[in-house]
Amino acid sequence: MKLKRRWLVPASLVAVAATTGALVAASTGGASSEKASGSITVWVDAVRLPVAKLYVKTHPKVKVNVVTYDGDGNGATTMQTKIQLWNRTGKGWPDVVFSEQANDPVWMAQPPFDFALNLKGVFPASLLKGWPAPSLAQCTVNGRLVCLQDNLAQEVLYVNKKLMGQFGYKVPTTWQQWAALGAKVAKEHPGYIIGNMGESFSHWLYLWPDRCPISQVVAPKTVRINSADVHCTRMATLLDPLIKSGVVPPESVFTPAFAQKYGGDNDKILLMPGPTWYAKDIFGGTLKVPAGEMTAALPLRWKNEAPTTGQVGGGPWIVSKHTKNVAAAIDFVKFATTSRAVKSKPGALSPGFPSYGPVATMWLKSLNKDTYFAAPPGAAMKAAAGLVWKGWSMVTYPDQPIWSTSVVTQLVAGKALSDQLPALGEGLSNNAKAAGYKVVNK
Amino acid sequence: MEATRTRGLHIPRGLPFVLPYLPFLIVFGIAPTIYALELAVTNVDGSWAGVDNFTRTYDDFRFIPAFKHILVYTVVWLGALMVFVVGLALLLHGRANRVSATYRFLFYIPGALAGAAAVVIWLFMLDPTVSPGAFLLRDLLGASIFAQSIAPGNLPYIFAMIAFWTGAGGWIVVMYGALNTIPPDLEEAARIDGAGPFTIAFRLKLPLIRKWIAYMLILSFALGTQLFVEPEIVQHASFGLVSDTWSTNQLAYQLAFRYADFNGAAAIAVDLLMIGLLGAVVIVTRSGLFRAED
Amino acid sequence: MGIRLLGLGARMAILLVFAIFFIAPVLWLILAPTKSDNALVTSSPFSFGSFHNVAQAWNHLDAYSDHLYRRWIANTLIYSLSATAITLAISIPAGYGLALGKFWGRKLILTLTLVVMIMPAASLVLPIFLELNALHLIGSVFSVILPFSFFPFGIYLAYIYYATSIPSELLDAARVDGCGEWLTFRRVALPLAKPVVALVFFFSFVANWNNFFLPYVVLADSNQYPITVGLSNLLASTPSFNPAVGGGGQSVNIFKPELALATLLAVIPVAIVFLLSQRALVRGTLGGAVKQ
Repeated sequence: MKLKRRWLVPASLVAVAATTGALVAASTGGASSEKASGSITVWVDAVRLPVAKLYVKTHPKVKVNVVTYDGDGNGATTMQTKIQLWNRTGKGWPDVVFSEQANDPVWMAQPPFDFALNLKGVFPASLLKGWPAPSLAQCTVNGRLVCLQDNLAQEVLYVNKKLMGQFGYKVPTTWQQWAALGAKVAKEHPGYIIGNMGESFSHWLYLWPDRCPISQVVAPKTVRINSADVHCTRMATLLDPLIKSGVVPPESVFTPAFAQKYGGDNDKILLMPGPTWYAKDIFGGTLKVPAGEMTAALPLRWKNEAPTTGQVGGGPWIVSKHTKNVAAAIDFVKFATTSRAVKSKPGALSPGFPSYGPVATMWLKSLNKDTYFAAPPGAAMKAAAGLVWKGWSMVTYPDQPIWSTSVVTQLVAGKALSDQLPALGEGLSNNAKAAGYKVVNK
Repeated sequence: MEATRTRGLHIPRGLPFVLPYLPFLIVFGIAPTIYALELAVTNVDGSWAGVDNFTRTYDDFRFIPAFKHILVYTVVWLGALMVFVVGLALLLHGRANRVSATYRFLFYIPGALAGAAAVVIWLFMLDPTVSPGAFLLRDLLGASIFAQSIAPGNLPYIFAMIAFWTGAGGWIVVMYGALNTIPPDLEEAARIDGAGPFTIAFRLKLPLIRKWIAYMLILSFALGTQLFVEPEIVQHASFGLVSDTWSTNQLAYQLAFRYADFNGAAAIAVDLLMIGLLGAVVIVTRSGLFRAED
Repeated sequence: MGIRLLGLGARMAILLVFAIFFIAPVLWLILAPTKSDNALVTSSPFSFGSFHNVAQAWNHLDAYSDHLYRRWIANTLIYSLSATAITLAISIPAGYGLALGKFWGRKLILTLTLVVMIMPAASLVLPIFLELNALHLIGSVFSVILPFSFFPFGIYLAYIYYATSIPSELLDAARVDGCGEWLTFRRVALPLAKPVVALVFFFSFVANWNNFFLPYVVLADSNQYPITVGLSNLLASTPSFNPAVGGGGQSVNIFKPELALATLLAVIPVAIVFLLSQRALVRGTLGGAVKQ
C-alpha cells in the first residue's frame, strides 16, 4: 500500500507539469479550447454543417447556435442583405460566417458593411504560418487579415491515364503541348475532350493561370482590367480552334448533358484542367468516370515561362467584428480549419484540400490511398498549392456572372473566345465602376 | 339615403366595415410607400436630392436593358392573358359540365406551385437532356443543351411562359367565377333569340365581365413590371448565364442590398410605380372600375 | 350540323393542347422522384421508376440539415393559415363597405389600395423591416404573419364581387324589414359571400404560401423559413446548381430526385386547398337567391 502511494506524488507532479505545459503551448497568442465558453452563433452552408455539428458535440462548454443558409454561392446577395439589415437594427450579427464566395470578405471588410474582424493578433500566429502565402494574401484587405480559407482549390491537370496510354499520348506539361494534342485528338479521336469552357468559372481555369490582368487590384479601390493584354489574347487565340473543333466544348460539367455525353459509359474525358475538389466528387460522383482511370498531374504552364496556376473557390471563414465572444469564435474557426478530427481524411467533414499545411499532408496521404485513382493524385495537388498566381485579386463584385453572361452565352452560340474579350473587359469595367472602383489599363 | 339614421348618430354607410382594414393599409401599404418615395428624392444623409437619383440610375449601364426586357416580357404576358385566359374561360363556360370542371382543375394545378417550385420544374423542362418536350426545344429554339434554351433572346418569352403557366389557371378560375355571376336567364333569352355560341360569348358575356378583365390587366401589368423570383432563380440555377439585374425589380434589389444604394433603388421603384399607375389610370377610366353602381 | 361538330372538335382540341401544356410538367414532377438521378437523364421522362427510389429521395431530403424540410412545411402552414384567417376577417367586410357604402374617402381608399399594389415589393421591404423592428417583432412569427395579412388583392376581389353581384333589391328588402347596417350585412351579404370567401381564402392562402421576398429578407433563422425560401436554399445547396462550393457537396445528397420530391411535397397542401375551394366556388351562384 505505502509503496503504491509513494509513486503517486512524483507521478502527479509530472502530470501537472505536462498539463501546464500543454496549456501554455496551446494558448500561444490566442484562445484555447479550455478557455472557450459562453455562446456563439455560426452561419454555415449545408456542406459545412457536419463540421459545426462535430464542434457542438466535442465542445459542451460552448453553446453554439448553428444556422444553415445558402452559403452566398454563385454571386448571391444573401450576406449583403442580411448584414445591411443587422447594421440598421444594431443587432443580430452572427459570430462566425462561412461563405462559398471567395470575394465576400473583401466587401465585408469595407464600408458600408464593415463586418469582418481583423484576425491578426487574435488568431494564433503559430497556426497562421501553416497557410500558404497566396491564401493569406487573398484574405488580406487593406493590410488586415479578414478571413481564413477553409480549403485550397488550386488548379491541376486531371489526366485519364488509361485512355492516354491507350491512345499513346504523352501527358502535356505546357499549354502549347496541350493545344497541339487537342488538334490531334480532334482528328484521330473526335468526340473526346481535353477540357471544357462552359463553367461560370472557366476564366479562373484558363485566364488566371496565364496571368491575364482582368482583376488585379493595384492600389486601394483601383483595379486593373485589361482584357487586351497579351496574356489574355494569346490564351484566347490558343483556345479558339480547340473550342471550335469540340475538344474544349462550351459546356458545364454540372449539367446532365455533360455527364451523358462525356462521362459514364462514354468515358470521353482525356484531360481536364480543374480544381483539387474535382478529384473524386466530380469525376467519380457527378461524371461517373470508371475507377482506375483518373489521376492528377502538374498544372499546365506557358512554354518557357514560370509555372502559375489558377484557383476555383476555397471558402473563407469570417469572424464578425461585433462578436461578444472572440475566444469561442476563434476557437470554432480553429477547429474547423486545423483540427485533425475534421480535416485529416477526405469525406463529408473535409471534402476539399485543406488550406492548413499540416492537416493537408494527412489529407493527401489518405487521398493517395484511394483506389478510385489510377495513380496517386496528391503530389501534383501539393505542388500546385503554392503556384496560384497572386495577381488575380478578390474584389467586392463577383466576376463569375459577368463571364457567364458576356462570354459563355456567346461561346454557346458559336462565337470565338477572342471576339468576346472586349465585351468581357467592358462588362468587368462597368461592374467595377458601379462598385466604386477606379479602372486602369496598366 | 346618405347615412343610416340611428339615434342621433350619423354613421356614414359602410365605414365601420372598412375600419379594421385601415391599420393594415397604413402600416404595410401607405407608410412604406411614402418612405420609399421619400428615399427616392433624398440622399443617403437625408439631404434633398431632387431628380439626382433618377438621372443617376438612368445612366446605370443596366437600366435600359432591364427596362427593355420587362417591356417585351409584359407585352407578351398581357397578350397571352387577354387572349388565352379570357378565351379559355369562355370556352369552358360555354358548356358548363363536369368535363369543363375537370379542365378547370387541370389548368389550375400549376398555380399551386410556389414561384421557386415552378422555376425548378421549368429548369428541367428547358433542359433538352431531361425534358419531355425536348423535340420542341430542338425545333422551336434550336437548343440541344440547356444553355441554348436560355439564350438571352429567348428569355422574355420563357419568363412570360412560366408566368402564364403558373398564373393562367388562377385567373381562369376568377373569370369563370365572374361568368357565373351572369344570370342564366340572360343567356337563355339570347339563345331563344337565335344567338350562336360565339355571339353569346363575345357580345353578351364578355362585356359583363369587363370589371374583372380590367382588374386582371391592371394587376398583371403591375406584376409584370415587378418580375423578380423567376429571373433570380434561373440566374442562380444557370450558374449566372442570366444576369442578376435582368429585370427592373432585380436591379432595384441589387442597388439596395449589394451597393447599399437605397435611394437609387427607390428611384427605380418610383419609375415602376409611375408606369404601373399610368396603366391603371387608363384601364380604370376606360372600364369604369370604380363606379359603385353597375 | 357539320359546323357544329367541327366547332366541338376544335373546342376539344384547344382544351386538350392547353391541358397538356399545363399538366405535362406536373406529371413529370410526380414521376421524377421515382427515378434515380441517372435514370432521370437516361430513361423516358414519363417512365415510372420504383417506390424504393422515392423512399430513398425522402430519406435524403429529410436528413438535410436535421429535418429542416419538415420545419419549413410546418412554418408555411402556420404562416399561411393564420394570415389568411386575418385577411378574411378584414377583407370581406371591407369589400362590402367599399362596394356598397357611401362615405368620404371611399374612392381614396380604393385608389390607395391600388397604388400600393402596384408599388414594387423590393422598395417596400426595407421600410416594412424597419417598422417591424421598431415594433420589436423581428424574430417572431408575427414579422411574417402581419405583413401577409395585408392582402389588397383580396380587398379588390371582395369589392368587385359585392359591386357586381348583390342586386340592390336584396339590400332594400332587408332595410325595409328594419335591419340596421350590421344585420343587413349578416343576413344578406355574408350568406351570399361563400364564393368570394372561397376565392379570397384560396388566393390569400396561395399567395402566402408562395411568398418569397418578405420572408427572405425578414427572417434570419433558417428554422423559421417558409418553404419557398427553403426551396431556394435547397437549390443553392445542391452540387448540380452550385458548383464553386470549393469542396464538393456530394455529401449533402440533394440531387434532382430530391429537388423534385421537395417541390412536389410543397405543392400538396395548396392542391388540397384548391380542391376544397373548388366546390364552394362552383356551388355559389346568385340566381337562386334572387328568385327566393
